[in-house]
Amino acid sequence: MASFILRRLIALIPVMAIVLVIVFSLVRMIPGDPAVTLLGPGATQGQIDALRAQLDLDQPVVLQFLHYVLGLLQGDFGFSLKTGLPVANEILTRLPATIELSVCAVIVAIIFGIPLGVLSAVRPNSLFDHVTRVGSLIGVSMPAFLLALILQLVFGTMLGWLPVSGRMSSFMTVQPVTGFAILDGIITGNLYAAWSAVQHLILPTAVLAAFLAATLGRFVRNTMLDVMGEDFIRTARAKGLHNSDVVLNHGLRNSLLPAITVIGLKFAEMLGGAILTETIFAWPGIGRYMFEAIKNRDYPVIQGTTLVFALMFVLTSIIVDVLYGVLDPRVRHRMK
Amino acid sequence: MNFWKGFAAAMVALPFVAGGALAQNADQQKTLVVAVPSDPVSLEPGTNKAEPIGSEIILNVFDTLVAWTAPDFTKLEGRLANNWKVSDDGKEFTFQLREGVKFQDGTAFDAAAVKFSLERTKASNSYVKATFDLIKDITVVSPTEVKITLTAAYPAFLSILAQPQSAIVSPTAVEKYGDKFAANPVGTGPFVFKSAQADTNVVLEANPDYFRGAPKLSTIIYRVIPDASTRRLELESGGVDIVQQQGQLSAIAAEDIGALKENKDVKVLETSSQIIRQLEFNNSKTDGPFADVKVRQAVAHAIDYDGLLEGVFGGTAERVYGPLTSNSWAFNPKMKELAPKYDVELAKKLLEEAKVDPSSLNLKLYSFQGPLWGAVATFVQANLADIGVNATIEQTEFPALRALQTSGQFDVALDGRQPWYNDPDAHITIGYLSSLANTAMTFRMPEDKALDDLILKAQQTPDMEARKQLYFQIQEEIAKRVPGAYLFSPKLIVFARANVEGLVVNSAPPLNEYWSVYKK
Repeated sequence: MASFILRRLIALIPVMAIVLVIVFSLVRMIPGDPAVTLLGPGATQGQIDALRAQLDLDQPVVLQFLHYVLGLLQGDFGFSLKTGLPVANEILTRLPATIELSVCAVIVAIIFGIPLGVLSAVRPNSLFDHVTRVGSLIGVSMPAFLLALILQLVFGTMLGWLPVSGRMSSFMTVQPVTGFAILDGIITGNLYAAWSAVQHLILPTAVLAAFLAATLGRFVRNTMLDVMGEDFIRTARAKGLHNSDVVLNHGLRNSLLPAITVIGLKFAEMLGGAILTETIFAWPGIGRYMFEAIKNRDYPVIQGTTLVFALMFVLTSIIVDVLYGVLDPRVRHRMK
Repeated sequence: MNFWKGFAAAMVALPFVAGGALAQNADQQKTLVVAVPSDPVSLEPGTNKAEPIGSEIILNVFDTLVAWTAPDFTKLEGRLANNWKVSDDGKEFTFQLREGVKFQDGTAFDAAAVKFSLERTKASNSYVKATFDLIKDITVVSPTEVKITLTAAYPAFLSILAQPQSAIVSPTAVEKYGDKFAANPVGTGPFVFKSAQADTNVVLEANPDYFRGAPKLSTIIYRVIPDASTRRLELESGGVDIVQQQGQLSAIAAEDIGALKENKDVKVLETSSQIIRQLEFNNSKTDGPFADVKVRQAVAHAIDYDGLLEGVFGGTAERVYGPLTSNSWAFNPKMKELAPKYDVELAKKLLEEAKVDPSSLNLKLYSFQGPLWGAVATFVQANLADIGVNATIEQTEFPALRALQTSGQFDVALDGRQPWYNDPDAHITIGYLSSLANTAMTFRMPEDKALDDLILKAQQTPDMEARKQLYFQIQEEIAKRVPGAYLFSPKLIVFARANVEGLVVNSAPPLNEYWSVYKK
């Protein structure tokens, strides 16, 4: 197992190198000069030229690339063209918010999605099954911005139960320790802040989780239906095993494997930042940071965030592979 | 069962209990929450590039020597300067400074700090190079007197001194924090910078020792909310107190303005801006259809100006009669009569006189992106169709449009400009001086010695009244040349909770000061 993980980690290097080259060149192919964009419609030519020179944008692209790679090797992601702040640091301050939201969404989605899928599969074509299927169809097809808007309107503006947006009440601050708002609130003993963070987390989590839970529910239902028709299920029943034992230990365990791939992929996507959800809920995560950077043609930030995103994706897929091994003895054997 | 009932009740009650405790925790009555679409780029006057959010915070944390006086902004008032004198040749500006003013770090404000701040901006800010390079020398005459000498007469310099780049910084704090000054800005202003959290908020606290008197608010929180519909929901639910336009970005979608006017918890403050949006011709082009002034006139008469204001803007924009907006101190009232009137027959006749067959004109109408520009372009397109001219709309991303314009590859385009310093120079010199034709933001005027000389003379004449007369003349001269059709000037719109009082909406620069704001 250890050597398997090590091999996968080494394979990460060429992948990241390729991503780096592609991102670096693609970003520079987007039409539009960062200096023009940054200065806005009021700028004169003299102001634009001066800024280009100041940002080294007048240097040849190959030189810019070498300069960037040399910096990366020393852990230097460069400086934002817009704010002049170090990109690595800016990413690190935003990553916890994204991770917090993604982890909560995945947990909620698993809690709701998998049982719903299992129950639907156990009693196919029952009323429960139909309701769940229609519900999950809505969940999958409803655009995130629409669901977000409805939730904000109902729970935020009309009922006033939950905050419309943000990560914590404006009137509270928490000394950042880990960067995770709830955790920091608890660590520093500021329980009001922690509670406020929980309240702020509910709506964006619901939006992200709704889609994932619906996807997961449909997926688990389908694979469960297949698995429940297999010979070994009949054997299990013939052995006289209790129904719940058959469903959970034999049916679900075998259906979970493909579901883990789905969860892993979606989780990796969320870690890259749920741009829409983060924007609508004013969530200070990495997706919004990347989106703003693309709009501003902020080259070092686009490069930095894309690299982190790629890294997250690859790491998550390694974790998924390892989990396969944990759950399935056949896979574990092959890994050796 | 009983346990679960109790648990559920506790879960429902907790938010309210906690919420009540919070309300007592922070004095919300004295806290103003302002929604902004993104973080400030920087709180450093020395490198400020007229980015709206950072600039506004700078003007609330720092002071400038002078500022334009609310509510109509036609007069300058002293801030850190008590009074000032301009020499007869218009090159020397002598300021008597206010005594006893202290920076927020406790150090004293004096003439040396003025010299330090302005020289610092001159050395580090490429954005204001054109105007700050005019500074030849800054002399500390005494701790309360400072003399600035320019290389050439430039009366608009006083307006430049009211800009965020000219804010006076604490030299001691700059020395202490070095390149971290932007994260620890220290000025003399009504509010003290407290904290900033990436993509979340910037918090300012009242400066109790402010020389004009302590502000009525205790705290300002700039909350970053990138999405326009979320800003609206937060305003309606009371999560924020103010949502404002930031520079040229609209704060709330135009169609929502009507709905918010109906809401009694919200008030909509509107004020005239100095923004001009126009349909401009490529005036340096000598071969196209628009080389003939009659064709340009025809187009100017084809536009239904009032219809555009009502139909597309529903009253959130105003008429522009010429190269300056009617709220400028140099606006020539005669322009109201001289401005072209909507007259389809006259437009057709002018085309006939110019011997131009309208159906032979196949125009590409370039425009910025976004639904609002799209609506304006469609309106203009329909107006042109009424005189038989066919135009195709090309909505282009901003940097690409700018590139097309500076290289002169267009016949007509929609364009516009928001001046940041309150002086006619901001519209006239950059827009119409022929030597600047090939740079950004101009009307690409052909060489025209008479007009050029007039523009330069107006730019450099120290006497305000004489200057005003020169600008009157320039406006009439430009109107004769019909460099474009002046379409509209969008109003500056600020949405506030009904209990917010004392806010003065500033037009140039479009940045608000919160010193006088309070909540009822």
